[in-house]
Amino acid sequence: MSTRQRLAVLADRWLPRSKKTRAAWIVSLAVSLALLALPWLMRMDGKPHADWQQFLGRFHPLLVHIPIGLIVLVPLLEIAGSFKPALRESAGFVLALGFASCLASLALGFLLAYGGGAAGTVLSRHMWGGIALTIGALLCVLARPWWTSGTVPWAYPALLLSVMFALVWTAHQGGSLTHGSDYLTRYMPPGLKRFLPQSQANATSVSFYARHIHPILDANCVGCHGDSKSNGGLRVDSYDLLMKGGKDGPVIVPGQPDKSMLLVRVTLPSDHKQFMPAEGRAPLRSEEIAWIRAWVAQGASPAITALPGVPEPEASKEPPPQPVGDYSALAREIGQMDAGLGAKLLPVSSKPEDGLVLYTVNVAGNFGDAQLAQFQRFAPFIVEAELGRTAVTDASFETLAKFTHLRALHLEETGVTGDGLAKLTPLTQLTYLNLSGTKVTQSAAAVLGSMKNLRHLYLYNTPAQPASAAEQAQAK
Amino acid sequence: MKQHPLCTDTEHEHSVLALPVPAGVKQEWAALQTRRQFLGRTGKVLGWAALASLLGDRAMRGDTPSPSYGQAAEALKLPHFAPRAKRAIYLFMSGGPSQVDLWDYKPNLPSLYDKDIPDSVRGSQQLTGMTTGQARFPIAPSHWAFKRYGETGTWVSDLLPYTGRMVDDLTIIKSTNTEAINHEPAIMLMNTGNMNAGKPCLGSWLAYGLGSMNDNLPTFMVLQTKLNTKENNQPVSSRLWSSGFLSSEFAGVGLRSAGDPVLYLTDPSGVDREVRRRMLDAVNEINRQTFEELGDPETNSRIAQYEMAYRMQSSVPELADLSKEPKSTWDLYGPDAREPGTFAYNCLMARRLAERGVRFTQVYKRGWDMHDNVTGILPIIAGETDRGCYALVTDLKQRGLLDDTLVVWAGEFGRTVYSQGGLSPANYGRDHHPRCYTTWMAGGGVRPGITYGETDDYSYNVVKDPVTVRDFNATILHCLGIDHNKLTYKFQGLDQKLTGPVPASVVQDLLA
Repeated sequence: MSTRQRLAVLADRWLPRSKKTRAAWIVSLAVSLALLALPWLMRMDGKPHADWQQFLGRFHPLLVHIPIGLIVLVPLLEIAGSFKPALRESAGFVLALGFASCLASLALGFLLAYGGGAAGTVLSRHMWGGIALTIGALLCVLARPWWTSGTVPWAYPALLLSVMFALVWTAHQGGSLTHGSDYLTRYMPPGLKRFLPQSQANATSVSFYARHIHPILDANCVGCHGDSKSNGGLRVDSYDLLMKGGKDGPVIVPGQPDKSMLLVRVTLPSDHKQFMPAEGRAPLRSEEIAWIRAWVAQGASPAITALPGVPEPEASKEPPPQPVGDYSALAREIGQMDAGLGAKLLPVSSKPEDGLVLYTVNVAGNFGDAQLAQFQRFAPFIVEAELGRTAVTDASFETLAKFTHLRALHLEETGVTGDGLAKLTPLTQLTYLNLSGTKVTQSAAAVLGSMKNLRHLYLYNTPAQPASAAEQAQAK
Repeated sequence: MKQHPLCTDTEHEHSVLALPVPAGVKQEWAALQTRRQFLGRTGKVLGWAALASLLGDRAMRGDTPSPSYGQAAEALKLPHFAPRAKRAIYLFMSGGPSQVDLWDYKPNLPSLYDKDIPDSVRGSQQLTGMTTGQARFPIAPSHWAFKRYGETGTWVSDLLPYTGRMVDDLTIIKSTNTEAINHEPAIMLMNTGNMNAGKPCLGSWLAYGLGSMNDNLPTFMVLQTKLNTKENNQPVSSRLWSSGFLSSEFAGVGLRSAGDPVLYLTDPSGVDREVRRRMLDAVNEINRQTFEELGDPETNSRIAQYEMAYRMQSSVPELADLSKEPKSTWDLYGPDAREPGTFAYNCLMARRLAERGVRFTQVYKRGWDMHDNVTGILPIIAGETDRGCYALVTDLKQRGLLDDTLVVWAGEFGRTVYSQGGLSPANYGRDHHPRCYTTWMAGGGVRPGITYGETDDYSYNVVKDPVTVRDFNATILHCLGIDHNKLTYKFQGLDQKLTGPVPASVVQDLLA
């Protein structure tokens, strides 16, 4: 038997009998091969190409939602079809439509990435996901008749299931491309976050680059110039890659901010074609640009820790305020406190969860420990207590310890001496404590050292007051 | 006879105030009634005209009455969000300080001495009547050198050595710009958001929206600095701290710069606290009867003001008693601060008002309007204010008050880089310049140690990040927890607001 005859027998055994289905299979095979070959035919070289490609390509994020909707609908229709057969009849049509829209989105996606000069690992994943998805959808279209006729009952459900997985995965990659890879996890509750794989960010880095330059690039540039996408062949997600530059050469010229492409592009007028960040993203803040400029001017060293003459914001932010509970049921009593004691409880803002502020200035001289104790039942709702110049004494620390949501406490020019300050240490929310003009001593204030959120401690005009710079100079 | 419910023309006339309609409508009706009654009676009794003028023009206008303290804050749901600053101190540099000589360092200017400013830079800028006849506009570089100060290395003129020391605490805006070119409209625009008189000023809006923290002192206080030089003192008037169409309760209360801080606050001899109280009670009773008859809400404002004055009889002497200030205070503010009415004294007073929960304090310093003899006068005015500004910010900071107090330093416009009148190496003058001027803020809600906005090489046009007066005021309101678009008051059929109808935006880059 000649080879040709053997092939004919093989084909006879494997290919469907009907001429129409056979043609369908052959066309499908060709389409699949073409799709698989596409990444080699149109290489993602990280260089932008024709504008018309980008113009059309930018419809990809719009169109891409159509196949998602249609394909998700298919298993729903198939399942619902077992109760209402008419629905199952429509499933075939929806599936075919899904495949067609897959092809269209794929084509636009290619134009977007190729025309815009995008490249990177997430992009490749998204691309291969899209290709696999399209081929999967095509196979589903072909395998569905076997399922309805009962010849091969397992193939179609299995294929459909894998298509669903491919869909979710591909869509997630696409989402990561547009919104950034931490889009879903950024606001995840801390309790859940610890199950995530640790990011490689090094919290102990002290260099100026690690503290300021990298975070700016990470927040504004890495979306298109990073691991997932590296437009123009440029990646800025690490120091070495940043210094290496892109297809057009280095973007940072140490010591020469005006010749550094990165600075030039971010300082163009925002409607300029080459302005970065591109595509209408928010421009860098002027101080961020100033930091980059100063850092480049100083030689763009990865190790330098501080730049002379460059202000830095406080590295760590204050803890977010904890919302207080609902005090609306107490509204009348809160009003009565003002009428009775002359001290007011006023809301911080129109949002009840922001809490209440205790103002005593109207009755300062007559407001002592006993009066403060009467506010104890509102303690969980009070976030700030203005007790400056009142008659409260050390005895009030006991009461204040119950103000669990207290963030700011004014005790300036009161009779407190600091005896019992330690009772305040469980107030983890406390960020501001004013003891100016009191008799608090250095040793009494020392217990406050354990309160890590207490960032604003004022000891002006007390025995504990730290010597001013001028006095220190005099002492020397 | 039973009446058909819809047949109104045979019905007795109901009192509108008894109908189940919203309280606001009733108030509006009561106010309208006031006007009708007034018009009805003037024909008969001329004396009413005298009363009406005593009550102010509001009785004749018959506007919607404004709610009093607390009511407003509650109804407006203020603050809209948790504020960074609870109070503000506004150091108003009336006359237009020269940004060219104080803040906006231009190292290229000395080489352009006496050269004409290019027409391309000047563009179509309107000139004042004072320089419009000038044949040429020669560039007058600053007579003073600039130095870098602080860790930020910010350039500050040698005229402001004290301010230079605290430059890392300041948020400097070099790109403030206004639409007005003459004092009165420009100063009205800065203070009330409108060049025309009649609108409430920033302090009144704050008093109206945020209410009082201390019932014993006015919510909004104005401190005037006494005059130092005889020249260039553009007048400031009470229009600038007027409550406009808001209740007069929200107007600024001035402390005098000499003698008693508030006139007639001390009881005359033979009148003790008790007698004063009984007299006030009687006056209040008469006022209440008047209110019942006429329904004019301004009558209630009067009652409130009499009561405030009564409480101020004890709170103001305590406020003005500086005997308990420690030595460090005098070291910081300097010897001027001992003399009431000086800028340093007012800065100290502003700190004391902040400590006592006064929501808004505005210190006015006149004398910046230097059309000629800049080298003669500017050192005097700058020297007079430099230490006070530094002392105030530093004092607030060391006492822990700067965390929730916003300090603002601003004039109504800047000054031209070209000389008005003759230019010599020794002296020059500067005309009004609305296109760019430098202002600064410090404290609650703003980002310290930054300079925002840039001007061109001639300190003439803003080239980057312009800040309009509207944006400036919107940003101040934001620091105090107020959305400038939501703090409104219905008047003349419009939802009036400080920033006016033209869109304004909070300058996010200035915020901490």
